[in-house]
Amino acid sequence: MVFEPKILGFLCNWCSYAGADLAGVSRIQYPTNVRVIRVMCSGRVDPVFIAEAFMNGIDGVLVLGCHLGDCHYISGNYEAELKMKMLGKVLSMINFADRVRLDWVSAAEGNRFAEIVTEFTEHIRKLGPSPIKNDKLKKQILDNLSATKFALCDSRLRALVARQRELTTEGNVYGNIIPIEEFEEILDNAIENEFIRHKILEKIKNEGKSVPEIAKEIKIEPHKVLQHIVTLRARGLVDVDQINEEIPTFISIKEV
Amino acid sequence: MSKISKNVMVIGGGIAGIQASLDLAERGIKVDLIEKNACIGGRMAQLDKTFPTNDCSICILAPKLAECFRHPNITLHTLSEVKNLSGQQGDFKVKIFKKARYVKEDECINCGQCIEKCPMRVEDEFDMKLRKRRAIYIDYVQGVPSIMTIDRENCLFFTKNACRICEKVCEREAIDFDQEDEEIELNVGSIIVATGYDIFNPKSLNSLGYGRYPNVVTALEFERLISASGPLGGHLTRPSDKNEPKKLAFINCVGSRDIKNNPYCSSCCCMYTTKEAMIAYEHNNEIETSIFYIDLRAAGKGFREYIERGENKYAISYIKGKVAKILEDEQRNPIIVYEDINTSQVKQFKFDLVILATTMVPKKDAVTLAKILGIKTNDFNFFKANSYYPQISSKEGIFLCGACREPMDIPSSVVDASGAAAKAAEAIMRG
Amino acid sequence: MSNEDIRIGVFICHCGTNIGGVLDITELIEYTKTLPNVAYSAGNLYTCSEVGLSNIRENIKEHNLNRVIVASCSPRTHEPLFRSTCQEAGLNPYLFEMVNIRDQDSWVHMKEPQKGTEKAKDLIRMSVYKASLLEPLEKMQVSVIPSAAVIGGGIAGMNAALTLANQSFKVSLIEKDSELGGLIRHLHKTYPTNEDASNILETRNLAESHKEIDVYKSATIEKIEGYVGNYKIVILQEKKMIEIEVGAIIVATGARVLSPEGYYNYNGKTIISQLELEGLLKENSVNAKNIAMIQCVGCRNEERRYCSNICCMTALKNAILIKEQNPDANITIIFRDIQAQGVTYEEYYRRAREMGIIFIKYLPDKPPIIKEDHLEVYNEFMNQVIGIPHDLVVLSMPLIANEDSERLAKMLKVPLEENNFFLEAHVKLRPVDFATDGVFVCGSAHWPADISESISQSNAAASRASTILSKEMLEVEGSTAEVNPDLCIGCEACIKICPYSAISKDEETDTAVVNKVVCKGCGVCGASCPQNAIIIHHFTSDQIIAEIVTYGGGD
Repeated sequence: MVFEPKILGFLCNWCSYAGADLAGVSRIQYPTNVRVIRVMCSGRVDPVFIAEAFMNGIDGVLVLGCHLGDCHYISGNYEAELKMKMLGKVLSMINFADRVRLDWVSAAEGNRFAEIVTEFTEHIRKLGPSPIKNDKLKKQILDNLSATKFALCDSRLRALVARQRELTTEGNVYGNIIPIEEFEEILDNAIENEFIRHKILEKIKNEGKSVPEIAKEIKIEPHKVLQHIVTLRARGLVDVDQINEEIPTFISIKEV
Repeated sequence: MSKISKNVMVIGGGIAGIQASLDLAERGIKVDLIEKNACIGGRMAQLDKTFPTNDCSICILAPKLAECFRHPNITLHTLSEVKNLSGQQGDFKVKIFKKARYVKEDECINCGQCIEKCPMRVEDEFDMKLRKRRAIYIDYVQGVPSIMTIDRENCLFFTKNACRICEKVCEREAIDFDQEDEEIELNVGSIIVATGYDIFNPKSLNSLGYGRYPNVVTALEFERLISASGPLGGHLTRPSDKNEPKKLAFINCVGSRDIKNNPYCSSCCCMYTTKEAMIAYEHNNEIETSIFYIDLRAAGKGFREYIERGENKYAISYIKGKVAKILEDEQRNPIIVYEDINTSQVKQFKFDLVILATTMVPKKDAVTLAKILGIKTNDFNFFKANSYYPQISSKEGIFLCGACREPMDIPSSVVDASGAAAKAAEAIMRG
Repeated sequence: MSNEDIRIGVFICHCGTNIGGVLDITELIEYTKTLPNVAYSAGNLYTCSEVGLSNIRENIKEHNLNRVIVASCSPRTHEPLFRSTCQEAGLNPYLFEMVNIRDQDSWVHMKEPQKGTEKAKDLIRMSVYKASLLEPLEKMQVSVIPSAAVIGGGIAGMNAALTLANQSFKVSLIEKDSELGGLIRHLHKTYPTNEDASNILETRNLAESHKEIDVYKSATIEKIEGYVGNYKIVILQEKKMIEIEVGAIIVATGARVLSPEGYYNYNGKTIISQLELEGLLKENSVNAKNIAMIQCVGCRNEERRYCSNICCMTALKNAILIKEQNPDANITIIFRDIQAQGVTYEEYYRRAREMGIIFIKYLPDKPPIIKEDHLEVYNEFMNQVIGIPHDLVVLSMPLIANEDSERLAKMLKVPLEENNFFLEAHVKLRPVDFATDGVFVCGSAHWPADISESISQSNAAASRASTILSKEMLEVEGSTAEVNPDLCIGCEACIKICPYSAISKDEETDTAVVNKVVCKGCGVCGASCPQNAIIIHHFTSDQIIAEIVTYGGGD
């Protein structure tokens, strides 16, 4: 059977949804693969929604807003851009970044809407079905996606993105402006850390494991695992399970 | 607070008339909005983008159109013109002539099936005659009210007593050839005039070759050519050979700042030519633009920075000097002949496409309307405004806003419109 | 409401053949009936016709529906109509959902009816799942204090106050100086009529004597709190704190003239500013014969990139006045571009040229050089340096933002642009509004403006303010954001992100609070909250995730 990509589109009410309507009024034909969820502003699209979409077998997600500078809510699409950049970083770790696209469509661009949908549909068709549909990979992909979702729900990461504009333009509480490159680095580290921490939690959900055991399972150096364990303990998510021959094992103590 | 019993009449449903109506309506005052065309929206609906933010024009206009249509305090009279006025501030009596639409406003759902079947091809004024529309039509797809209109001058039923195919295909039975023109009488307390402007026709300037050279177009034509919803779908090609133009020239002050035509300044051309050059560049980064100007007038908020951005990031060169004439080579490329100010030599430059920034001129029926309303016009037939209180006309109870009193850009028109609304409200509260 | 109680009615529109001619409506109706909580599903030829609407109303009653879905055209055009239909049948309008199966389905998949029908099924199913989670919302009403504060008593402020007062609104006009009038007090005559500035200043008497206007002179603003319709302002006047309550605020604080100190050997005697020339003209003590005016001093440069808008016309005016008095005077205006837009101003410029005033353009990288008795300027027309004799040089200085703009902007929670002028909500269509509801701007506080522009804008600001003040109650959209105080940790990320300053901190509980009156429901705060503590009503995360899961899991 021909693969028909399952695509979800988030459209902002004022520009891109209007552009999609205009494509209709102009009878511009495009592939039937996209299902639209209307939101008032592209800035409403929580990155978690997109992780959720992939966990539910959706092959590709489009997020369309007003052109930069045209946002009906002044700055919502800039926020959307920051969020999607962060999401892109997270998803690139699990090879899903290619399945999301953020773009801009004005209320006058019926043609452009149809072009973006057509192009994205073809793009996803070429990429093939989401690996989650492959029974052999399903478990691993789901693990990865749920680690992604964990990272996206995490308050530290969200706080960083929510404050990005403030930190890089107005400065922190001390009035220091963080250069954008430096910010990106902080963000990259935060993403990687949260992602790994969730993988660790997954591994010790049901049984206690030692640092070397975890390190082996998730293929990360033991001293790094230990650092994460310390952090997770401080957050009250992990505790010592037992101590065997002076080697402690750790276990997840809270449902996250 | 005093009680308000009178309506305000707003003449003209462009952005100025719309803003004035919305302010009054939100203020709790009932408004009769009179629009000559079948849809409101005016010039702004024809624009692709707007300076200095390069906002998509229809994106920001459409919500206002819808609001105007839905507002319980606004009665929209489309296809209507003022024919007579009597009385005074507080108690004007107005006669409105309303042309028949031949489409039932409550039945038409703007599905467009009639358009598909209509056999007539008519020059589309909205698209600056760059494409054809049908005899049953809507000016633009986002037009409000979003219903069809039959153009009596071109409909085969009216011209040859034939066809009636729209009537057959309309599932809503919305076509009504029996509709007749009407005369409506209104009683209003004050009046806002917001009739806007026409565009200078550069055909009279023989030396520029407009009308003879296919690759010389006006700025409003160019606006439609680059518009995503225009006849080219936003993919700019030049009229003569459908090639993508790479070298553009804009000539500012066409028909303005010129004693022989209009001595006044058209106020917005320096900015909109820059904008159009920017949009063209965004479509195709290989485009290089020259803008010929007399003074670069960019005094508004962020305007000077806009011009700088055009120069630095959009490959625009600003050339001071007045163009003497335009020639054409065998490939139909326009050649601009101008005097180089540095060397005083006459120079020639070949371009792929030349765009004329034609000045705003008063509406052709401005004088007629002024007579009906009993208001004065200035030397150029713009409605005469008070020097310091620009919304005040020569007659008590009648207020002015937008380009009908002087050429101006959108923000100034919006300011003017809100200001006129305040004055019109004040007038009926006193009256 | 438990699941069993939810009864959804789905109305599927044929829209003549627009939908019905492409999609299989019967199949859609039958499919819809299999979905959970759907109590009724039927087709309509035209749902938006009176027949269609009464059909919805009847079925709400007959089938005891508590959720309504219409699958037809676009919610952008038709949602208000169907919502009010629901309301007429006693259903909360927020319990309505719309599915776009025409503009975004049948019209764009005309050649793929089967796939189009499948798409419609998905969309309807998504909507049904969302509808189950819809909650009734109320449109809140807030009262409005029918009076305004105008900050700044220059021409813009005085006129704004008068325009409102003439419509019977009470106005507090607050001026930091000891008298009203602003910059106009220093002017000799005004363009384009060249009448005495005192004519325009008569506005002052009108404002001071108007029974609806309270004038506060030598008064500063100390504190502003509240929101649209309900602001509290603390004014400091002669060491007294006065508190006023108003429904709207107009900012008309004007601008100041850049000091000429340090520009072009300014000495205040033979090299003076345009403002000082006004003073000399007032005293009728301009004795110079050779006068040179230099435009764009201290602006259109690296430091101040903008054009100050009014200096060209001011220079033209003063040049004309001198020339009228002394036709033998040689006046040269050294300029970059003459800003004389429109009909009247261009005519004024032409008049100046006809009177024999000389205009010489200079380039920014080759500014004029002032020598002892003459001035040298390179002119590109002639490609040479021209010497101009002078016994008086007049510098046209730009208007710059007031020093206290920043302080006021912070109190009002409104933004400034890069030159510290106030930044309006939208450059094109909301030129005198701020994004913050109930606060407006006019005159040179917004951007250098001359008298007629200031008056025009002040009328506009008054008009915009009156749209609020004229209402007894403001009705507020139900679909706004709400903070769950149990989850909020008071990090303030949302406060910074909200473009409308709708969120503030409750100091007692140390949590964020959304002011529903100000919130526009964009949802950006909800998508950003680190703690997921913000609910975006009508577009809740649960509702959106329900749509996602339903679509994804629908194989």
